Amino acid sequence: MTSRGIVISDLTVGYDGPPVLDQVSLQVSSGGTVAVLGPSGSGKTTLLRALAGFVRPAQGRIEVDGKVLTGGPVLVAPERRGIGYVRQDGALFPHLDVTGNILFGLPRAERRRATQVGPLLELVGLSPSLARRRPDQLSGGQQQRVALARALAREPAVVLLDEPFSSLDTALRAATREATLTALTQRGATTVLVTHDQAEALSFADRIAVIFDGRIAQIGSPAEVYDAPATPEVGSFLGDTMLLAGQAAGGIVDCVLGTLELAEPATGKVLVMVRPEQVVLGDPSGPTAHVVSVAYQGPDAMVRLNLPNTAARLMARVPGRRAPQPGDEVGLAVPDPVRSFPDSPILPISG
Amino acid sequence: MRRRTFLTGLGALGTMGLVGCGSSKSDGEYVADPGSLQVYSAQHENLTKAWVEAFTAATGIKVQIRKGNDASMGHQIVAEGSASPADVFLTENSPAMTLVERNKLLAPLEEETRRQVPANLTPSSKAWTAIAARSTVLVYNPSKLPKADLPKSLMDLAAPEWKDRWGCAPGGADFQAIVAGMLAGQGEQKTKDWLGGLKTNARALQNNIATMKSVNAGELPCGVIYHYYWYRDQAGTKEGSGNTALHYFRNQDPGAFVSLSGGAVLAGSKKPAEARKFLAYVTSKAGQQVLVDSQSMEYAVGTGVTSTPALPPLNTLQAPPVDPFTLNSDKVTTLMTDAGIL
Amino acid sequence: MPASSDLRVDAVIRYDEPTAAVPVVRSTRTPWYVMLAAILLAALVVAPVLVVFGQATSAGSAEASRLLFRPRTAELLRNTLLLVALTVPVTVLLGCGAAWLVERTTLPGPGIWRTLLLTPLAIPAFVSSYAWTSMLPSVQGLGGAVFVTALAYYPFVFLPVAALLRALDQGHLDAARSLGLTGLGAMLRVVVPLQRPAVAGGALLVALHLLAEFGVLQMMQYPTFTTAILQQFAVGFSNAAGSLLAAVLVVLCLGFLVVEVPLRGHARIARLGPGSGQRPVAHRLGAWTVPALAALAALVGLAVMVPAAIVVRWLARAISSGAVEAGPLLAATGSSIGLSVLAGLAATLAALPGAWLLHRYPSRLAAVLERVTYVASALPGVVIGLALVTLAVQWARPVYQTAALAVTAYTVLFLPRAMVAWRSGLAAAPTELIEASRSLGVSGLGTFARVVLPLVLPSALTGFVLVFLATVTELTATLLLAPTGTETLATAFWSASDELDYVASAPYAAAMIALSAPLTLLLRRQILDQR
Repeated sequence: MTSRGIVISDLTVGYDGPPVLDQVSLQVSSGGTVAVLGPSGSGKTTLLRALAGFVRPAQGRIEVDGKVLTGGPVLVAPERRGIGYVRQDGALFPHLDVTGNILFGLPRAERRRATQVGPLLELVGLSPSLARRRPDQLSGGQQQRVALARALAREPAVVLLDEPFSSLDTALRAATREATLTALTQRGATTVLVTHDQAEALSFADRIAVIFDGRIAQIGSPAEVYDAPATPEVGSFLGDTMLLAGQAAGGIVDCVLGTLELAEPATGKVLVMVRPEQVVLGDPSGPTAHVVSVAYQGPDAMVRLNLPNTAARLMARVPGRRAPQPGDEVGLAVPDPVRSFPDSPILPISG
Repeated sequence: MRRRTFLTGLGALGTMGLVGCGSSKSDGEYVADPGSLQVYSAQHENLTKAWVEAFTAATGIKVQIRKGNDASMGHQIVAEGSASPADVFLTENSPAMTLVERNKLLAPLEEETRRQVPANLTPSSKAWTAIAARSTVLVYNPSKLPKADLPKSLMDLAAPEWKDRWGCAPGGADFQAIVAGMLAGQGEQKTKDWLGGLKTNARALQNNIATMKSVNAGELPCGVIYHYYWYRDQAGTKEGSGNTALHYFRNQDPGAFVSLSGGAVLAGSKKPAEARKFLAYVTSKAGQQVLVDSQSMEYAVGTGVTSTPALPPLNTLQAPPVDPFTLNSDKVTTLMTDAGIL
Repeated sequence: MPASSDLRVDAVIRYDEPTAAVPVVRSTRTPWYVMLAAILLAALVVAPVLVVFGQATSAGSAEASRLLFRPRTAELLRNTLLLVALTVPVTVLLGCGAAWLVERTTLPGPGIWRTLLLTPLAIPAFVSSYAWTSMLPSVQGLGGAVFVTALAYYPFVFLPVAALLRALDQGHLDAARSLGLTGLGAMLRVVVPLQRPAVAGGALLVALHLLAEFGVLQMMQYPTFTTAILQQFAVGFSNAAGSLLAAVLVVLCLGFLVVEVPLRGHARIARLGPGSGQRPVAHRLGAWTVPALAALAALVGLAVMVPAAIVVRWLARAISSGAVEAGPLLAATGSSIGLSVLAGLAATLAALPGAWLLHRYPSRLAAVLERVTYVASALPGVVIGLALVTLAVQWARPVYQTAALAVTAYTVLFLPRAMVAWRSGLAAAPTELIEASRSLGVSGLGTFARVVLPLVLPSALTGFVLVFLATVTELTATLLLAPTGTETLATAFWSASDELDYVASAPYAAAMIALSAPLTLLLRRQILDQR
């Protein structure tokens, strides 16, 4: 049975000591975009390098469009995989100008003609006037886009992006990300993005694979992994999270925030996951909290609260304009259904 | 652009080098020529060349010279062993020849060749022959050392009053031969004591020329050297010897030691007949006259040949009666090593 | 009910990105052919050294200990170590100081200084020591030896340090200043640590040269192991005593090699990606401009001008007395160029597998293979030359007394010069770029040709030039191994100067300098190519 796109099965990488990747399986449909999200050292870069062919796994297979690239004795050389790879630092060749870099992977005849440079620069949102610049005359974002254009020049079926936006400043990051996404979509390339930036993963990809300590913790759409994380750790990693002890009884749960509606029924002792944006301030019927601090962030504000007689430190994300003042006493409510997890000790996630 | 210029440069350089090799090759000089007699010579280059040219003119036998210095060339022939390409070996001093002889790499000397050199200058071993000679002398600076204060014997220089007042080049083969002569004539204890005195008193210089120049510059009152360095400088610019004079110890003193340059045919020679012919030529009257005419200022050793008139005749030097072929150079090395000179 | 039991869980789990780099997992398979080449070349260097050890032990242990454990050995050891201990810091001081003035200050004419400061490499050390002793007879002993060798060898430190200083990112310095360090503090705590690999590599080359130096020390009447080895060879009837001292020298060299590893540190120089490094801001010299210029002028004057003036004086006399013969001079120049080009190419190529292995597939074995290639360079040429005679006569008779064997000897002797150049050059071709090329569909060989080679070419050229310069002046191994009848500039100079004839030797000395001087210009690329 063959399938289009990437199929990774049971991939284990590691030489000495604990494996860097432990039986990772992942499928990406053709033309799809998956973000591999995890803390530093979780093995996400190694996963990408295994896909690119720079790492020989201890076991497991990698197929692209039905062709085995890695598996058993097979280890197709990086240059024969037809997989584009864009690194965090761009890795432009310092001795070549932009044109030389973009055309690097093309056959000699096409390098001579150099007809592709203009369209490729436009594809990644750069001016063709940059064609003769040397890498050290480009900004970081420009370097990243040239690196992308270089990878796309060969029209690879698969493009791997290894934290390509992480070293760019915020404004540049959004623009570069958008240009990249557009270019990739136009080319219909299957894309794997590795990142530790939750927001980047959520906005870029149509599927997200969360990876902790070399294992896949959850795979799903951005909404699934954010709203319905498989574990408290996944939930916490994807965004600010409050985990509160509670007592569930079918569709409802009791905790310090009162009696809340559950998205899925549960019973007994549970951990209730509440995201700060689920908390509504100013509901007099709920428990009253003391505002400790307010971090104003423009569109919204992060409010830190204390509940009297408890050690709980709570957070609420509210529209910036409606933020209370420190010292205010406010009533809390959580109107939307919340998620719960069976009560178990939370393992700190190694960063 | 820049890269291209420098690549072009490198290419040009390589080509120049190859042209260099090629032009030498066309002269027949760049590779050993198997048709030529191979002479390994540690003798001074001018003299060797003069001999070879005269020999080729006289016999038509082509000769190729490999030059070097006594020590490394002697060791080289030993390392080459019986496979040595050398047919003839010429040295400046006897120790390097003795080294090769001990490794049994020399062919016996022809009787006729031996007879061309006086018996007191030919080896008891009959494995090689003297081809030239040089005498030990004391070079001194009369402004620093009046003639009246000159030492009577080389042995005197070990006395405390000579501390820091003389120099020599004890690290060379030249000097080792002098000490070997001393050991043969004076015995081990006296030689050992003298070397101890040398270690304390003498400044160790790089070579004979440096010694002479130091004396000439007045840095040292006197120094022990071989005679011909002084005579050559005198015949030329006198730049290194103008302020100096020579003192001959005579009286069969160890300081009157005469060292011999050697010549021999290698046992492994592929052209033994031509090699013997060459050595016979070098020691012949004609060959020895070449030596005299070469202005090398060394003593001719051939019977019936008069050395350069500038030199006091060899037989007036009253050299100690030492057989240079039985000199115990190993013992000398050990003594010098033990004295901390080597 | 205490509230704390209600709220067992701390509400927020935070994630902080650790700043330490995550080790990158690489496929660690070393290509067998690279490994094989590195092993064979290491064996080539070790083989003559083993011959020396064999001869050292041939006299038996009693004789060996008699020769070894005596006051003279201690004296030689003290002299040798003293020379290294004094000269190396002086070269580091001169090299770093000059590099800083040229690359990091507002000194006028940095381009000219860069060139002038490298020219001592073109002056054979024995020529400059002769010049000095003939001019100032008091230049001798330890002081004279340090003086002449430091002036001759400081470019080995200047070259890599200047290149690194030029590559220095101003960002690092600014960061240090913003963290409250003074200019000097930033220099000491940021710049100096970054310079460690360059300084350590240069100092190692200087130390190895000092171990093997003969001509200068002989002229300075300063006995070291090497001068003693040559004397033993001159008077000894077996190689045992000389070889024994040579073995001690090898042990000393191994000591230096081990010491250099931790001194070098692990600073990474190459810079990739976002933002090119900021060009360093030049330090304003102001009133110090004149003293700085005077200091550099004095350095160049002492190291280059004095010996050059002496050679020119000889040459003028040679020309006026009609002693210059064009034929032999041209032939010797041709041979010198031919042998030196071949040696430069051979040594540069030979150093590549070891350097490549260590760069791309670091392992303990790779480190050992690289270090091993330095061992022979601490020995005088005659020792390696004789060992190669022994080896070639026994195992490779057809190459004996051919240019091939001479080039092999030069390669063995001068490999470290190429190795040091490659090591700094390969840092300019980081693995990331190689992987980028592979993922763009270019094979290993193509990647080497299209990415690695263009990036490391300046360094390869540096290695080539350094080996070339050394070969032009090499004498003792040349005498033993060059084809019979081959006259090089060095052997012709030696013949003439051995004849007391400095006028006749002048054209050859001048030709050596004239041949070498333009090549030092090529070394500037090593500095200028730093981004």
